[in-house]
Amino acid sequence: MDSRDSSSAVASDAARDASLLSEDAAVLSVTSTLAKSALSCFQSGKFEDCIDILIQLDQKQHNDPKVLHNMAIAEYFKGGCSKSKKLLEELNCVKKQSEELASAAREQVEAVNPGTNVSVSKDQFDSTVTTLNIAVTWFHMHQYTKSSSILEPLFQNIGRLDETIALQICFLLLDIALASHDAVKFLAVFDYMDKAFGVGFGSHEENGSTMQLSSNQGSKTSSLLSSSVVADTVAESSLCEETLDYDNVLAAEFEAEKRMKSVGHIPANNLLKTLSERSFSTADLKLELQLYKVRFLLLTRNLKLAKREVKHAMNIAQKRDSSMALLLKSQLEYAHGNHQKAMKLLVVSGIHKESGTSGIFNNNLGCIYYQLGKYEASSQLFSKALRSCSSLRNEKPVKTFSLSQNKSLLITYNMGLLYLARGEPLLAAQCFQKASVVFCRQPLIWLRLAECCMMALQSGLLDRSEIRVNVVGKGKYRKLMIEENEHVELDGSAQCGKLSLPLARACLSNGIYLLNESLLNESKSDRESTLSVGMNETKEASSADHGEANTNSDLKEAKGGLNQDIIQSSLSAFKNIQSREKLLIKQALLANMAYVELELENPIKALAAANSLLQVPDCSKIYVFLGHLYAAEALCLLNRPVEAGAHLSAYLVGQDDFKLPYEQEDFDQWRMHTSSDCEETLDSSTGNARDSVFLKPEEARGALFADLAALLATQGHHDQAKAMITHALTLIPNNVQATVTAVYIDMMLGRSQDALTRLKQCTRVSFVPGRLEVRAS
Amino acid sequence: MNRSTTVLMKIEESATVLSLLKSDLLPMEVVLSQFNSKLQSSSHLAVCNSLSMMLQDQKMLCGTERIIAFGIIYHCYSSQKPSFNPFLSEMISAACNEQLEKSERAFLLHLLQWNNYNNVKEILKQSAVDYIRSFDPSTHDFPELGELQREYGDKADTGPSSHIFADYSLKKLLHDPDVPRGCDPNSPEFDVQPGGNPRIGSGDRDEALSGLLENSTMGGLAPRWIRPCPPRYPVHQSELLWIDPDNKHELVWDDKMCADTSRGATVRDLLVKGLKMTLSPSEQEDITTELTNDPKLVYNCGITARKLPQLVEHNPQIAVEILTKLNNNKEILDDFLAALVNMDMSLHSMEVVNRLTTAVELPKEFIRSYITNCISSCENAKQQDKYMQNRLVRLVCVFLQSLIRNNIINVKDLFIEVQAFCIEFSRVREAAGLFRLLKTLE
Repeated sequence: MDSRDSSSAVASDAARDASLLSEDAAVLSVTSTLAKSALSCFQSGKFEDCIDILIQLDQKQHNDPKVLHNMAIAEYFKGGCSKSKKLLEELNCVKKQSEELASAAREQVEAVNPGTNVSVSKDQFDSTVTTLNIAVTWFHMHQYTKSSSILEPLFQNIGRLDETIALQICFLLLDIALASHDAVKFLAVFDYMDKAFGVGFGSHEENGSTMQLSSNQGSKTSSLLSSSVVADTVAESSLCEETLDYDNVLAAEFEAEKRMKSVGHIPANNLLKTLSERSFSTADLKLELQLYKVRFLLLTRNLKLAKREVKHAMNIAQKRDSSMALLLKSQLEYAHGNHQKAMKLLVVSGIHKESGTSGIFNNNLGCIYYQLGKYEASSQLFSKALRSCSSLRNEKPVKTFSLSQNKSLLITYNMGLLYLARGEPLLAAQCFQKASVVFCRQPLIWLRLAECCMMALQSGLLDRSEIRVNVVGKGKYRKLMIEENEHVELDGSAQCGKLSLPLARACLSNGIYLLNESLLNESKSDRESTLSVGMNETKEASSADHGEANTNSDLKEAKGGLNQDIIQSSLSAFKNIQSREKLLIKQALLANMAYVELELENPIKALAAANSLLQVPDCSKIYVFLGHLYAAEALCLLNRPVEAGAHLSAYLVGQDDFKLPYEQEDFDQWRMHTSSDCEETLDSSTGNARDSVFLKPEEARGALFADLAALLATQGHHDQAKAMITHALTLIPNNVQATVTAVYIDMMLGRSQDALTRLKQCTRVSFVPGRLEVRAS
Repeated sequence: MNRSTTVLMKIEESATVLSLLKSDLLPMEVVLSQFNSKLQSSSHLAVCNSLSMMLQDQKMLCGTERIIAFGIIYHCYSSQKPSFNPFLSEMISAACNEQLEKSERAFLLHLLQWNNYNNVKEILKQSAVDYIRSFDPSTHDFPELGELQREYGDKADTGPSSHIFADYSLKKLLHDPDVPRGCDPNSPEFDVQPGGNPRIGSGDRDEALSGLLENSTMGGLAPRWIRPCPPRYPVHQSELLWIDPDNKHELVWDDKMCADTSRGATVRDLLVKGLKMTLSPSEQEDITTELTNDPKLVYNCGITARKLPQLVEHNPQIAVEILTKLNNNKEILDDFLAALVNMDMSLHSMEVVNRLTTAVELPKEFIRSYITNCISSCENAKQQDKYMQNRLVRLVCVFLQSLIRNNIINVKDLFIEVQAFCIEFSRVREAAGLFRLLKTLE
């Protein structure tokens, strides 16, 4: 008997044959008993038994989409959660089927009895759970855009959904928004939750007092308060210590924990419970939303407000699980550049004690050590984090398996940055390639991959930084042969593996494409901003009819008006930061592109990239300098020396002097690019200061002299060239290229004796005996 | 170090070339055919390149060697048009160089087949020594450089590379004679004397020649452009990924599978409607009946603590009905009561609490915090308009009187609070009444 028949029978005609009705009821009770035991098997992790029952059910309720749905879920867990693709196929199939059945049922009911309630079929063929599961699966596969677009229709109608499901959808949307750095979407969801579940950016103090309901909670309030004070002082006191040593920090933490215990206050670690396992009391929800509020503020880098809100989160968390709040506090200190404090808070949060979160602990500690410039320690921590992730994956039983705690790809990305900082391009590239599953839509990872290629090539071509002079013959017949214009490849270059300049070029063009796309979207969304605000209002209006009588929320809004302003301003500040960062990345991508094209001997493309670089609005002076230099060289290679000269003369002062193309401050500013939000704390002497090494302003000026000299030399103006190159060599005395140019000019002027002296004085020249001598020795 | 890519000639090849250069007694034809047979055509360019470099230095090769070297360069490209010869310009400038021997220049003009210099074949039949010996300078006139360049210059190939740096590259040897200070490096005393002990500063020309041949490379010396590598993009703090555990989004089991969805569906639908508007009496009756028929229905009728306030506002009777039915489940009821306490004071919420007190026994703490909340609502309503406040005070007074009369609360628990409330709002008639009621109970 088809379930559709039974339901429509009940719905359409109550006065039907009584025996038939009771038969239906019998079938229903048998199936619902089976359904219950299937659920209990599922919950206790007996997936095989569960599937057996589901097969029985399927025979009774042929093609019931819900049975098929649960079967797919059970199969997935039985297979160790490894076949995500297959699960998605099956779930999509179920979804399609239930939608077809739903529309068929609706038509049927309306045909039989127009105007009747269609809720029966609505419930029977409702695909909300299926849709949610599809979104969850995409989320775990790090496909945030897909996941979000699938949830969007559910969110539009969220008021009509069952509360638990609605909460799950909202939390998933929040996590998606955080993972994809989408502050606007985050706020849309958060605002809804605020209104529907009544905890928001608004005033929390007055809520706090009324929340205390039962007397045992109420009477405890005072003791809780005092204990929270104690706990806080414990935490603070352990933070005062100045040592950075990991063991010491751990010791301090144990001490703190002991004291906390004596207060009779142990935070239960709530992190490892799944959403559905947690019972969401209003108070739990309040804490959870408060934590998300802090995450939002951290995302938008509004550190001041985040500090205030995290304090409040700590207060709420005191009688529950404070590990999450402590972790966020640690992140806040990290963002502030207070690495010692961040480290201690991280340890106090206690997340290293759970196998499920120890990977996260190690990763975050690794980040701190990276910022401190301690790459060795950082690398050990990242590898440890990766190991604990993979051991988590192999853990049995599958029930405790939690895909979402598998952050290995994020850790791998960090590892890649670390390898890059340590000058190991091959390993770095491997990491970035792995992590690209998650980050392939982000331009930055493509820039990093290109940097790996370029670094590999540079380390493979060490010889380019030296002049080799072959010494041939002896005595009166001793001759020098200068070897230049040739790359001498080292054996090491074989190690470059797949890293090559063409790969760098491909990566850079991917990055440029993605960046242009997102810049385009940005300007589009700016134009449509009025439209989206309008949509928000309608959304709010629809959610407001839940709580239209709830004047409390209106009141809160009135009070929280200031807060809304702060949120909006931090949102727009974040948008500014994001677009500034995009432009910075664009500059880097284009500069690298021009460089790579020159290396690949494509002056036309190099010129195009350099010209686009020079057109980037508010381009950093450093990149303007590079843009001019690359463009000039490309023009030389295209036999357009006059235009090349024009690029260089942009920096000319008078006839024959160059100004500094940029100041040291420009470089510092560029290196710290987004530090305006934490300028007071970031110390330029720490770790990442040595990340990017570049020409000092004086050296850049020297390069201008040398390049103009080279250009003049090719034009036959040897005397002018000589003056330029002499100037260049006072600024960059040991520069190989400048020395070669100088030697060339000397020889063109017939002053080979000068050239000889120059070569003998330059420290970067190696005199190599001819092969005969080598063989003889 | 792997240098095979840069060094052009093999050791054997350079030895061959050296011995050919020294074959000044053989007819040049023979020398050239030996060159053909001993060296592959693939190495011709390399050989010519090295020879041209040595020819630029006038002292490296002696007269016969220079003749043979030019002969080899000519021979390598003799089957093609002169303009294909990459070393053409060097041959032209040598032919016009007045510092060179006239015999050599005439030889070059023959190779270039300029005007009446047309008997290359005859000359090549001689040996290099014979050619120089039989050369008669008086029978020759030499062209100007410009003349020759006009003749061949247009046809000259620009060479393998075409950009300005490569075009201007220089192939030159630097002299670095290693002789004692103050000595003339050109003096023959520094040549190696056969049999004699080598003295400081002496050098063997042949050794230098083979060294040059072996080590020569294709590249010349050209001005170099400084091309700084772009700096590595700095790692901003936000690029390094700090991980924040998200909620565990597990797959959800669909627990509506095979559930008896027909039962209670009407109630659920009506209740959804009831959150937004007052239900008709018959609808309310339907809900009450269904809830009574199925005592478990109340747990999945769709009303949760968070939805309760809306139901209270629109359908207080139904709310009372549901709360009464929930009385068996302490935990859930507590959640619902908390929602009642937290919602705003209103006639409906008080009505619900009032009715509830008569139907079931409520936790004392709940009633107490509810009353506290009522009183503080009245006080807070000051900021709003006076009329609303008075109305609220009146309601609270009536509510409290009802509770006291029905013995729901023990006045003593709340005496001070309620008394203060009455005094504060003594201007309201009902408050005065309540105050009197309190006095009578004292």
